[in-house]
Amino acid sequence: MDAILLDKLLSRVEKPARYLGNEWNMTKKESYDFRFALCFPDVYEIGMSHQGSRILYHVLNSMDGVYCERCYAPWTDMERALIEANEPLFTLETKSPLRDFDVVGFSLLYEMCYTNVLTMLKLSDIPFLARERDASYPLIVAGGPCTVNPEPIAPFFDAILIGDGEEMEPEIVNCMRKAKADGATKRELLERLSKIEGIYVPSFYEPVFENGRYVRTERTNANAPERVRRRIVRNLDMTPYVGKQLVPHMQIVHDRVAVEVMRGCTRGCRFCQAGYIYRPVRERKKDTLLKQARDLVRCTGYDEVSLLSLSTGDYSELHELLPRIIDDMAEQKVSVSLPSLRIDSLLKEDLEKMQTVRKGGLTFAPEAGTQRMRDVINKNVTEEDLLRAVTDAFTSGWCGVKLYFMIGLPTETDEDILGIADLARKVSACFYRLPKEQRGMGFRVTVSVSTFVPKPWTAFQWVGQNEQEEIRRKQQLLKTAMKGVRGGELHCHPSVLSVLEAVFSRGDRRLAPVLIDAFELGCRFDSWAEHFKPDAWAEAFSKNGLTMDEYAYRERDPEEPLPWEIVDALTTVAYLKREWNRAREARTTKDCREGCNGCFGERCEDYCRISKE
Amino acid sequence: MRIIAAFQKNKEISYTSHLDVQRTLQRAFRRAELPLAYSKGFNPHPKLSFATALATGYTSDGEWFEVELDRAIEPQTFIERVNPALPDGMRIVQAFEADDSIDTLSKLIRAARYELTVHFETPVSPKDVRDAVQSIMEDGPVIVDKKTKSGVKPADIRPDILEASVKDVSDTFAILDVVGTLTAAGGLRAETFVRALSDRLHLNCFFTAHRTALCFEGSDRLPRLR
Repeated sequence: MDAILLDKLLSRVEKPARYLGNEWNMTKKESYDFRFALCFPDVYEIGMSHQGSRILYHVLNSMDGVYCERCYAPWTDMERALIEANEPLFTLETKSPLRDFDVVGFSLLYEMCYTNVLTMLKLSDIPFLARERDASYPLIVAGGPCTVNPEPIAPFFDAILIGDGEEMEPEIVNCMRKAKADGATKRELLERLSKIEGIYVPSFYEPVFENGRYVRTERTNANAPERVRRRIVRNLDMTPYVGKQLVPHMQIVHDRVAVEVMRGCTRGCRFCQAGYIYRPVRERKKDTLLKQARDLVRCTGYDEVSLLSLSTGDYSELHELLPRIIDDMAEQKVSVSLPSLRIDSLLKEDLEKMQTVRKGGLTFAPEAGTQRMRDVINKNVTEEDLLRAVTDAFTSGWCGVKLYFMIGLPTETDEDILGIADLARKVSACFYRLPKEQRGMGFRVTVSVSTFVPKPWTAFQWVGQNEQEEIRRKQQLLKTAMKGVRGGELHCHPSVLSVLEAVFSRGDRRLAPVLIDAFELGCRFDSWAEHFKPDAWAEAFSKNGLTMDEYAYRERDPEEPLPWEIVDALTTVAYLKREWNRAREARTTKDCREGCNGCFGERCEDYCRISKE
Repeated sequence: MRIIAAFQKNKEISYTSHLDVQRTLQRAFRRAELPLAYSKGFNPHPKLSFATALATGYTSDGEWFEVELDRAIEPQTFIERVNPALPDGMRIVQAFEADDSIDTLSKLIRAARYELTVHFETPVSPKDVRDAVQSIMEDGPVIVDKKTKSGVKPADIRPDILEASVKDVSDTFAILDVVGTLTAAGGLRAETFVRALSDRLHLNCFFTAHRTALCFEGSDRLPRLR
C-alpha cells in the first residue's frame, strides 16, 4: 500500500497503532513461497491477547518458506475509511490484501464475532460462500473453540479445523504444497485435507432438515470421514511454545508474557465447554515452564508473567513451581499472576508470595449461590472453601475481591439467586470481622453476574435458556438482595447478548444466511454493547423464517439428533447424558484425577494415559 | 546515575501514542538489561521522564528524555545497548550523563521546530501558499478554533508562532519550516498552524509533521533556540 494513502487512513481512525504492525518480535521474511494470513475477527487489542494465535504465528513462521502474517478486524471507523478509499483490508506485516494469500485462517473464539468474519471477507473482495469461490481464491479456513459446532458458519469455509491447531496447520500447509506440485484441483485438495485428523470439509456434508428441525447429515463425498474427530496434541511438553512473543506498541487486553502451564481441566464443571473440549489434561514440566518464562521475559521486556491454563491452581507441580518462578522473576522486578485460581487450591503462602512484587486483583468464581446449585453444575467448591480463601487473602492485605456467578442455570430457583447475595454478605463479614489493624481500607466485594448460555459438547447442551424476561426478573431480585451488603457492588451482563450467543453456539447451517443478512443490515462487533443491533438481528431471522427462541429457549430431547454431532469431540454423548441426569439429581461427579469417570467411553484407556505421561 | 538522551521516531512507528512510546522505551531498557532504578512502593516503575510528548502520527529527529540508573554506565554504552532492543522506527541518537545541576527537562523546554508537509486536496498556486504564510506572520492575530478543557474556543495562536517559512511548494503540496513555543504549559500545535493555513487558502488539506528539533534553555548540553 502506498505510504501517503496509509498515512491518510491512519490519521483518520482512532487507535491507529492497531493497524501499524512493526511490533517488537514481528517476523520479517524476504523470501517465501507460501503465504498464510492469520486472521482474528475482533479488534487488535483482543486478537493480540490470544495465546492460540501466538502459538500458530510462531509455528507457521518456523516453517521454511512460509510467511504467516496477521490481520485483525478493523474497527468501524477503519472499515469506513477503507471503503471510502476503495482499499482492501491489509495484513500488518507486509500490508498486503488477503486475496494475495494461499490460506486465510480465522480464529473463532466466540460466536459473537461471526459477523466480523464477513466484514473481513467483504473488505477483501472474497465471496462469503465457499461454493462461490474457485481455485483463484485463497483457501479460507477456521479454527478455535467455536468449531466444535461448525455448522452455523460451515458454508463460509473451505475447511474447518477442530481441536488443537499447532500440528494441523503445518499439515495443511504441506498438504497444499504437495497438491500444488501435483496439479491437484480444488476438490482434490479438499479431499486430501479431509483425510487429516481434525479437518472438516463442510462441502462434503449436507445436513437434512424435516419439519423445521435438523434430522441428520448426509455425506456428499464417500471419501470424507463419517465424523470428524477433534484433534489433540499428545505431548504438550514437547510441542513448540511461543518462542518470541509479540510486544505490541499499544496496550492490549492481556499485556504480559503468557506461559501455558497445561491444557485441559479435570474438574468437570457441567456448564463449561472449555472443560469438555480441551480434554484430556496435558501438563508442561516445571523446568520447561521456568525456562519459557525466563526466555520470554528476556526477549519481550515485559514485567509480568501469567501462568495460563483453565485452572492453574490444579497444576500438579504448582507448589514447587510458584516459589521458584516468583523468586526468579522478582530479581528482574517481574510479577507473576495466576489468571484462573480455584478457591480450594489456593494456599496462604502462595498468596503472600504473589504480593512480594506487585499486587494484582483477586477473583473467584463460585458460579452459583447455593451448595445445591453448585452440585448441579458440579462446581465442587464449598462455602467454607471460599470463606477460608478470602479470609486468607484479607489477612494478607487484599481488600477487594471479585466474585463471578451465572444465573439462569438449569433447575435454578429464587433461593439460588438470593444465595448469591448471601455469599457476598458472608465474604463482606469475613473482612469486617478482622481487627482494624489487620485489614486494609476501602473494601469492595464485586459480584459479577452473567447469563448462562448452554453450549454444545457439555452436559447442559440440551438445556433451554431462561427467557430474557425471566433473567431480568432474577437480576432485579438479586439487585434488591445485594443492597444490604457492606462494600457490595453488582454488575449484571446484559442478557440480550446471551440469547444470540445461545442461538449461534447451538445453531445449524440455516443460520449462515441469517449471518449474511445481519451483516448486510449493519451488524458488526456484536459483543460490543455500542454496536449490538437487536432489531437488525430480529429482521435477519424473520427474513429467513427462523426464530431465535427456537434455538435459544427450546429444551432438546436427549434422544434428538444434534447438528454438531458431525464432530466427534472425543467426550462421548453417552457420557454427557449421564452427566445431565446426575445434574438433575444434584449429584456431583468427582475430579477425574481421582479416578476415571469414563468420559471418552472405550477410548478412555488411551486418552487417560496421555494425561499421565 | 542520570542519563539524558534523545531518540528518533520515524515513519514505521509514528502512529503510536506518547504512552505507547513510554512503554516501548521501558521494555527496550529491560530487554537491554540496563540497571534501571525503580520507584519504591507496591507498583515499582522505572524512573523515566520526557521533555514533552510527541503527538500521535508525528515523526521526530530528537525527542529528549531522562532515565535513572542504579549503576553508572558510559553514555555510549547506553546507546549501543538500547538501540538493538528498540523496534524499527525508534533509535537513540544522543546520550550524556547529567548531574542535578540540570533541571528536569520539562521545565527547560522552550520551543520546537517542525517540518510540515501539507498535501492540498485541490491544486493551488505556489504564490498563494507563500502569501498565506506571510499573512500568518505579518497580519496580526491568527484566530483558530482551539480545543481546551472547557470545549472548542477561538484563540489567537500568533504569539505561539516564532518562525514560519516555505521551504518548498508545488501546486499539490508545500513543505513548511515552522518554529513554535513549547513549554510544560502548552505551546503551538502543528495541527492548528496547518488549520490557519488552510483557512486562508480556503481549501482542505492533509499534512504530516516532522519535529526537527526541541529547544531548551538552561543547559549547554541541550539544543537551544537559534
